[in-house]
Amino acid sequence: MAAPFETTTANGETKLIVRNTLDINSAPALAEEIDKIVATRPTKVLVDLSGLTLIDSSGVAALVKLYKGVRGGGGAVTISGARDQPLAIFKLLRMDKVFNL
Amino acid sequence: MVTPIRLSVPGALRYRPIAVRVVAEAARLVSGGLASARDAKPSSVDSLALDVRHPFDTAVVSAFMEIFNNIAIHAYQRRGSGTIEIEITLSSDAIVIEVRDDGRPFDIDSVAELPEELTEESLPEGGMGIHIAKTMLDEMTYEPGPPNMWRLCKRLPASQVAVGRS
Repeated sequence: MAAPFETTTANGETKLIVRNTLDINSAPALAEEIDKIVATRPTKVLVDLSGLTLIDSSGVAALVKLYKGVRGGGGAVTISGARDQPLAIFKLLRMDKVFNL
Repeated sequence: MVTPIRLSVPGALRYRPIAVRVVAEAARLVSGGLASARDAKPSSVDSLALDVRHPFDTAVVSAFMEIFNNIAIHAYQRRGSGTIEIEITLSSDAIVIEVRDDGRPFDIDSVAELPEELTEESLPEGGMGIHIAKTMLDEMTYEPGPPNMWRLCKRLPASQVAVGRS
């Protein structure tokens, strides 16, 4: 099985791919990765959630942390590909508008 | 009276995937599974894959995951001690899940509402779990114990009952 998340950087853009389940068991590892991403003060971060099938509030909190951290450093965050259960959760929390989903 | 589905797991987060899988499969028995015929790909159906796409399954699984988290973190204080007892009762158009624990009672009234206007600044980084569970379900009640008991109820919309079933 592919790693639950993966970061690549190319042409000044940081891409974070999150797959499978992002929940209270996997969010702490992602939060560490997010701290590293935020520390680089990236100008542009793309978050690809097309392979994400399940999320809980811990997973949402990790993504909010990324969003706020990058924006706070003057960068831009684009979140794309959310579908099914994760999209339903973002809509329920009314984050779909903030995240432009 | 249909026999309920019962499962006991240790009150630790590492056992959550087992419980989530049971709940997801139980929800699918009510909803019939896939969101629509458009999504049906018989060749790619893996009976062991966790399939949470139907809105009913989405609601039930989302709510249950948050309640399990709440018990492991608040009732059992992340110590991994104690037991979580899950009892699932299915009917043709509804699922009722009772979840019991013997940990600390939870102060459900202390849960803050989500901000009215969600902006970049007011994006919450916590406290969303109970809100997710409550909003996803038709009914959610909590009775402090011992044992503490969460009762989660979700009904299938009338238009979807028995759709696609022989």
